[in-house]
Amino acid sequence: MSDVHALVLTGYGLNCDHETAYALELAGASATRVHINSLIDGSVKLKDFQMMVFGGGFSWGDDHGGGVIQAVRLKTNIGDNILEFIEKGNLVLGICNGFQTLVNLGLLPGFDGDYKTRSVALTYNDCGNFRDDWVNLKVNAASPCVFTRGLDQMELPIRHGEGKFYSDESTIKRLFDNKQVVLQYATRDGELADCRRPFNPNGSISDIAGICDTTGRIFGLMPHPEAFSHWTSHPDWTRIKEEMKRQGGSGDSGVTVGIRLFQNAVKFF
Amino acid sequence: MPYQLEITLKTDLFDAEGEGIRQKAENYFGIELAQVRTIRVLTIDVNLSADHLEKIRTEIFTNPVTDISSYAPLPVDFDWTIWVGYRPGVKDNPGSTAMEAVEDILGIKTGPDEAIYTSKRYCLKGDGLTAKDADMIAGELLANDLIQQWKIIPQKQWNPKKGTGMIIPKVILNHEPTVTSVPIDSDATLKKISDERNLALNPNDIPIIRAYFLDKKVQAERALAGLSEPTDIELEYISQARSDHCNHNTFQGLFRYKEGADGSVEIVDNLFETCIKAPTLELKEKKPWVVSVLWDNAGAGRFDDDHYYVITGETHNSPSNMEAYGGAITGIVGVYRDPLGTGKGSKLVMGSYGFCVGPRDYDGDLRPKLHPRRLLDGVIEGVRDGGNKSGIPTPFGQVLFHQGYMGKCLVFVTAVGIMPATVDGKPAEQKTTSPGEMVIMCGGRVGKDGIHGVTASSEVFSENTPAGHVQIGDPYTQKKMHDFLLEARDEGLIQFITDNGGGGLSSSVGESALFSNGCEIQLEKVPLKYEGLDQWEIWISESQERMTVAVRPEDIQRFLSLSEKHAVESTVIGTYADSGKLHITYNGKTCAYVNLDLLKSGFPQWEFDAEWLSPHDRGMTEPVLSEPRDYDRLLMDMLSRPNICSKEWITRQYDHEVQGTSVIKPLVGEDRDVNSDAAVISKLETGNWKLETGNLKLETGGKGLAFSQALLPAYSVIDAYHMTSCTIDEAVRRLIAVGGNLEHIGGVDNFCWPNIQYHPENNPDGKFKAAQLVRSCRALRDMCMAYEIPLLSGKDSMYVDGHLPGKYGETHKVSAPETLQFSCIGVIDDITKCVTMDAKIPGDLVYVLGATRDELGASEYYEHFGHIGKNVPGVFPDQFIPVYKGLCHAIKEELVASVHGIYRGGLGVHLAMVAMGGNIGMNVDLSLVPAEQVSRNDVILFSESAGRFIVTIDPANRKKFETIFKGMPCACIGEITNGSDFIAKGIDKRTLLNVPVQQLKTAWKSPFAGLI
Repeated sequence: MSDVHALVLTGYGLNCDHETAYALELAGASATRVHINSLIDGSVKLKDFQMMVFGGGFSWGDDHGGGVIQAVRLKTNIGDNILEFIEKGNLVLGICNGFQTLVNLGLLPGFDGDYKTRSVALTYNDCGNFRDDWVNLKVNAASPCVFTRGLDQMELPIRHGEGKFYSDESTIKRLFDNKQVVLQYATRDGELADCRRPFNPNGSISDIAGICDTTGRIFGLMPHPEAFSHWTSHPDWTRIKEEMKRQGGSGDSGVTVGIRLFQNAVKFF
Repeated sequence: MPYQLEITLKTDLFDAEGEGIRQKAENYFGIELAQVRTIRVLTIDVNLSADHLEKIRTEIFTNPVTDISSYAPLPVDFDWTIWVGYRPGVKDNPGSTAMEAVEDILGIKTGPDEAIYTSKRYCLKGDGLTAKDADMIAGELLANDLIQQWKIIPQKQWNPKKGTGMIIPKVILNHEPTVTSVPIDSDATLKKISDERNLALNPNDIPIIRAYFLDKKVQAERALAGLSEPTDIELEYISQARSDHCNHNTFQGLFRYKEGADGSVEIVDNLFETCIKAPTLELKEKKPWVVSVLWDNAGAGRFDDDHYYVITGETHNSPSNMEAYGGAITGIVGVYRDPLGTGKGSKLVMGSYGFCVGPRDYDGDLRPKLHPRRLLDGVIEGVRDGGNKSGIPTPFGQVLFHQGYMGKCLVFVTAVGIMPATVDGKPAEQKTTSPGEMVIMCGGRVGKDGIHGVTASSEVFSENTPAGHVQIGDPYTQKKMHDFLLEARDEGLIQFITDNGGGGLSSSVGESALFSNGCEIQLEKVPLKYEGLDQWEIWISESQERMTVAVRPEDIQRFLSLSEKHAVESTVIGTYADSGKLHITYNGKTCAYVNLDLLKSGFPQWEFDAEWLSPHDRGMTEPVLSEPRDYDRLLMDMLSRPNICSKEWITRQYDHEVQGTSVIKPLVGEDRDVNSDAAVISKLETGNWKLETGNLKLETGGKGLAFSQALLPAYSVIDAYHMTSCTIDEAVRRLIAVGGNLEHIGGVDNFCWPNIQYHPENNPDGKFKAAQLVRSCRALRDMCMAYEIPLLSGKDSMYVDGHLPGKYGETHKVSAPETLQFSCIGVIDDITKCVTMDAKIPGDLVYVLGATRDELGASEYYEHFGHIGKNVPGVFPDQFIPVYKGLCHAIKEELVASVHGIYRGGLGVHLAMVAMGGNIGMNVDLSLVPAEQVSRNDVILFSESAGRFIVTIDPANRKKFETIFKGMPCACIGEITNGSDFIAKGIDKRTLLNVPVQQLKTAWKSPFAGLI
């Protein structure tokens, strides 16, 4: 068993819990899927974990804004436990609906250690629709983010209807100044998308796809690293394999960037 | 007192929903709007203090970064404002989650009369916008009168304090639940009551029903239970169980089939037995991987040593035709309950869709309830929300336009699940109910929703069809229930499980009680959405998101506590028994007491006259058409035909990668924009995976599931036999093209047929349509036996006709073409050997496998010119199977770079697809294409002969590849080039086609390019 224990939330319409736990295990963590109500009724305790993952899905149907009701329920019932968990130096990851939840909880952006104020939002995509596509992401090497250490670019799938990162100008500036902008949507060549569709799939301000808090231990992103757990997850894998074969290779491109993100988290401890 | 909260995006934020409406108003109706802003409205019919109201406003319903809100009308600028809310009793999913959130944050428990209702207000700006425009936008774009109500207010009548006013769509029935006895003194009386109550009893069944209730022994038993004449609830139960929807009376019917007006009559007794059941049982003996067929909610095949996959397909045509979004979301969420209710429960792992609608740009005189464009928008969104919010990937789908679907659209939904081979040490695919076990209803509550849905879908849609059966599925509630039930299954708490779909409790309890042979139901225990339902309504209501489960008394406490943890409502509503009776009481008084074996006893078989006239006898001929000269233009026009062109805008709205299992995605190629032949998912999410942590180097990717579907209704106009065989052949080739194995293919047949009962005035061609059904079923049998495909599941929807008003007050009956959707599923041993259809590397050789024949009958090419022709493609399994086996072998040996089947549109269209997938040039010589007696380039390019593939390979593999196909129709016809042009030489070796691939792609993408 691994020494790094990760908790993956389930229940109330969350739906990426199996593959997120799977990706964590591949990366060397010991992952447990925990129903939100089991945390609330105390039958499972946060103190037994080092990593808390808010995964993708449609919590409470996302009827009143992505992640809004999940944030309300967690804040009302176990808000203090979560803050205590963070204070201990643990890691928090929010993916897609989880990212939406983190910003609605106020855990992100967490300016000056304020983990309660909502100052950024993930709102409706400019295209007006849910969209599933792969995007290229530029990683900010200067960011303190624990999860993206040593990564330069990532290709990952996005699957959301409310992923447009939005805030006022001064907040956006502050995020950049603090190096809290971890991921930005980019073209296939690695240039910033500059709000062009489909590279920036949702109209996010400044192409922002993921941010962390100032410690780098709380990280939220719209793309799904857990959905790139094997080289056959990549949309081009049959093409890549054929090219590698012609050069005497097998097609297996090794550990995926999605798993490397989780490995970084495991290595942190 | 109620409160109304309005919420909207801050003015500097882009309103994507509003912009979508603005664009549609312009594109659909030519109404130019300057701006549309949307306001979300919550009508809070809950007793709350001012503090509480402010708390929920700021902490739940208003995002401080993006929103503004107020309990007074928001001053958003408009020329016209349109408020749209639900009608009473329509499922308001956001309203329910709002209540959950309010209760949670305030720590209160609301009363049964309290509720939150959601609605929307649209603020329209536009010069010269008229009342007529606003009416059009409200009724044709924003709302459907079946489920919604609206108010339209011009600026000058707006009261900024009062706003829209408050409408509370609360259901108030003020009705004392009543059981009514029904007199059965004559067949005519019962027939009259059946018509009045919309029971849809078949007149032939009526004497049997009467005989039962007049039987002396039955009467004596009923007297002891306190009953005499049949009650309404009893007749409703019988009607539901006997409906064509539940009982498949048509497929089990007797057909008097003859070929030609003077042909001899052949009796075809029971198409289901002879063409579906018999072949499947025969194949089950040969195929050890077939686990469970022909009895459960879905069929099961073996995935690996420890898991089975399950599959089923459904349609949800009638409701979708009237309320597209609601019908479609109810359809997809509903079909997902089938695997969940298969064996002791299966986890859902994928879904797919098939939409058949009228032409999107229809501008003729017929007036369907919903214009095909609006209908398509609605069904796309319904299946999208239903699938995405269920957390189930949708990696495959098809859309087909045909004028015949104007009368009634088709919405096919298919579901695949995975179950462990054993649960608690016992076979997971088996289940039964036993006397003494509890009958539990899980999930949603019961309202008037969907009453008579089953009987309505067994009727031709007319202006008088009750709209009450239109519902809105709730994937959120169902997802919670899904997670809960799988946990309960894994703890061994479930003895039997089935879903509440068509027929509600009447079906699910009625059918599950057959196992134990009896049940006692206390109907007053069933949780209701609101008071005032009659007993029969509770019994047959089709309120969604419910499962019926049998649990042993000793497990009940654990079961209920797990249910509570998952925030799912579960209620014990009775017990299973071995009395032979369906016994229902309400507050201690018996309201139904029926012998369960009644349904098995002596109901007459339905009968049909079927008369086949060959295409020749119908005067069909090939058109007189000379060969075209401008092939560049022709190919581009073919690529931009609605049934060929890109529909990426739809595909990308579906989450096809959730669960992390995606291997072959719906869109592939360098730009990830060309349709894959089939979908493949991996086994990651079997739920029971075990891995050594940190072991990243998997030797292979492990097993996967390949899935494909095909629809070719166009061929039915010539012969439904060939429609069926070509459809099955296409689905098989699609599966093989990605790496599927011919040895393991499970099938699912979904028939959608117009009414086949002859009537001289109302259905004068009924006999022909009946003959088409007989022929189609025979083709199904022949193909399944030839390709060795057991039918794991199947359904039929028999009344795909509509009566559409025309220009002068007349109505036209519009019947759909005879349609079969065929699904194939198979196990892939090693997912890393899967292939995609896109050309990959310059210098690769292009092969065509399979012979091209002069088979342009009912082709896309003929359709392009308005012709039908006669030479419909045939399927020749004896010739095709060796090629398919060879290709399976070549893929397994990793000799191929790409594989693509040749489908609708023919070789020309599909060579272009392969080149477009690779964004790469291609140079081919049509004179080299394997062909049988073909001497024209247009025939080679556009014939839709079955059994063919396009394959590209590394030249280094040439010898090995050609050895496999020695003696078969297989030829290298050219190569992938370094250039960017698609070049084809004709039979006479002269250049026939020379077009940049990007230009082809632009043509292919242009028809729906503006849609997102």
